Amino acid sequence: MAESKSNGSKVTKHKLIALSSSKKQFEFSNPQEKIIKYKGEKVKVRLSEDPNGFSYIVWKNRKYMLDIIEKNQNRYTVMVNGVWHTFTIESPFSLKRKKLLEKQAGVSTSESIVSPMPGKIIDVFVEEGAEINTGEPLLILEAMKMQNEIISPIDGIIRKISIRKNDSVMKDDLLIEIDRR
Amino acid sequence: MKIKSILIANRGEITMRIIRTARKMNIQSYVIKTVKEPNAWYLEEADHIIDFTECFSDIAEFLDIERIIYAAKENKIDSIHPGYGFLAENPHFAQRCKEEGIIFIGPSSEVIYQMGNKTVAKEYARKNNVPLLEGSKGNLKDAKEAIVMANKIGYPVILKAASGGGGRGMRVAEKESEVERMYNIASNEAAKAFNDPNMFIEKYVQEPRHVEFQILGDQHGNVVHLGERDCSIQRKHQKLLEESPSPALDPELRERMGKAAVNIAKGVGYYSAGTVEFLLDAKKEFYFMEMNTRIQVEHPVTEMVTGIDLIEQMILIAQGEKLAFKQKDIKLKGWAIEFRINAEDVQSGFSPSLGTIEKITWPEGDNIRVDTGVRDGSVITPYYDSMIAKLIIYGDTREKALQLSSQAIKKFWIKGTKTTLSFCRAVLQNKNFRKGKFNTSFLTNELKIHYHNAPDEEMLAAFFAVYDYVREVGDAEGKTLNVEKSKNITPWLLNKRLR
Repeated sequence: MAESKSNGSKVTKHKLIALSSSKKQFEFSNPQEKIIKYKGEKVKVRLSEDPNGFSYIVWKNRKYMLDIIEKNQNRYTVMVNGVWHTFTIESPFSLKRKKLLEKQAGVSTSESIVSPMPGKIIDVFVEEGAEINTGEPLLILEAMKMQNEIISPIDGIIRKISIRKNDSVMKDDLLIEIDRR
Repeated sequence: MKIKSILIANRGEITMRIIRTARKMNIQSYVIKTVKEPNAWYLEEADHIIDFTECFSDIAEFLDIERIIYAAKENKIDSIHPGYGFLAENPHFAQRCKEEGIIFIGPSSEVIYQMGNKTVAKEYARKNNVPLLEGSKGNLKDAKEAIVMANKIGYPVILKAASGGGGRGMRVAEKESEVERMYNIASNEAAKAFNDPNMFIEKYVQEPRHVEFQILGDQHGNVVHLGERDCSIQRKHQKLLEESPSPALDPELRERMGKAAVNIAKGVGYYSAGTVEFLLDAKKEFYFMEMNTRIQVEHPVTEMVTGIDLIEQMILIAQGEKLAFKQKDIKLKGWAIEFRINAEDVQSGFSPSLGTIEKITWPEGDNIRVDTGVRDGSVITPYYDSMIAKLIIYGDTREKALQLSSQAIKKFWIKGTKTTLSFCRAVLQNKNFRKGKFNTSFLTNELKIHYHNAPDEEMLAAFFAVYDYVREVGDAEGKTLNVEKSKNITPWLLNKRLR
């Protein structure tokens, strides 16, 4: 339909890309039309809402429950059948640019440990400058009345500790930064 | 004395569950309204509401022994059912009920105390010749003694709180250097959660199954068991899925374990419904772990395979009646599986996903049971556990129960919070789970990805995100966005990207 509006001028096929958090790319050439080209075949999808107010998509005669649980500009978190997926929506150009910028920034040499859930810091076992090995405990976070050991995912040196014993933290708060060794 | 009224000192699905049986038995139900959940569903189902919203107290409503006792007396209520959690295993509460002439629907306060203290409970098991794991006879003095004991027993060892439960106050140490740290973590946790920092130590059985026996005893010394539940699918000692019977047991082993469970119960003079928990190792040796002196979350699977209403039995026993059946009358028929549907984000380490349940619908039909206290608009609060519902499925065989489970889970929809439904789907698709080959290490060793991950679904999610994005941008611009022409779209996107 968009093609007809373009007055017959030569159109370069344009796409939008959903880039997943694990860097998987999903290209859609004309997402308004509810036709998905997938593995070489074109399939029409149907978007509907059931009487209870649940949204779903029908694809290849199968029903998938859908819900957008977060959106912020071009960032989306979409739940399908109870599993959530996070994407950024990119044009081919913005994607290229994004990749370029990431390349320039280089591979990250440090690891940021963030709080997996809201809670309270019960104990911190490490000090700035200390060496740490994969699997060694960094701190104890109490959440939902459970004390959880947060362990180091890498071998490294503690660069910065952003919390102290007895601090309350929110989900995704930065706790500790570790430089890769 | 026939019970005519019950105060249910609990909330959520278990309160709904107890109301159901009370109604069946023509017993008036009383429930407590709290400021934390003033619109909870259970309030509408009950015959009477006792309002706790306007009293100010430092003690949480369902833990406030004197206030609950006072409410029962003021309203001339015969009995109190504590449900699970809260005051269900508090010997002082049972004692206070007795002193005030209120029937406590549960075992005696003495037995709650004895079984609640794990070191005392183990002593009873020893006396009744029930196999036990090697470990400390009583409480440990300190971390130093823990190290000495651990070296004697051999690694790995498990440090457990004497008053522990629900997976709290429990840590495994693989080697000597870990013992002190794990002791301290577990002891701190226990001090906070149970107001008792005392610890004991045991040999840690690697990759055991968790198999527990439901027992029923009356006040005349009769005790029977109602078969077992396999609760091996756990995460950090929190049960996620339970089934009855256990795929690991044959009739001979069931009889031996059942007998051991009944012996412990008889040994302590147990009455009411209770659960004896065992660890079962790969060689099918079993060891007594602990006894729970309450109705369990997972009791419905036992009800499905025995046809016995456990809440009804608890009430009859509390009235002083004799059990109407003997061990030989109890026949386990078919297979039942319970899925715990919690408001948790499986993809972020099962962290709580609080919020409002905007919409919820569940499957209905033969062999499907849903126990819940949640409906459209219910709020999952940080004050209580994160359980939304229990889905219980029955089949003539395990195979049939699994098949129906897969269908039923697809029809369980919840909008508003993240849930463990995606975990349930992942478990159901696991080959070894389907074969019945699993143990308590299932989540760490077998099910590496804890949610069902389908490429089709990710692609559809991506499509929907792009579709919605185009529509939104189109709306914002007052016209449909032309994605075909790079000239139209690029500047807009570029601005966004570069800002």
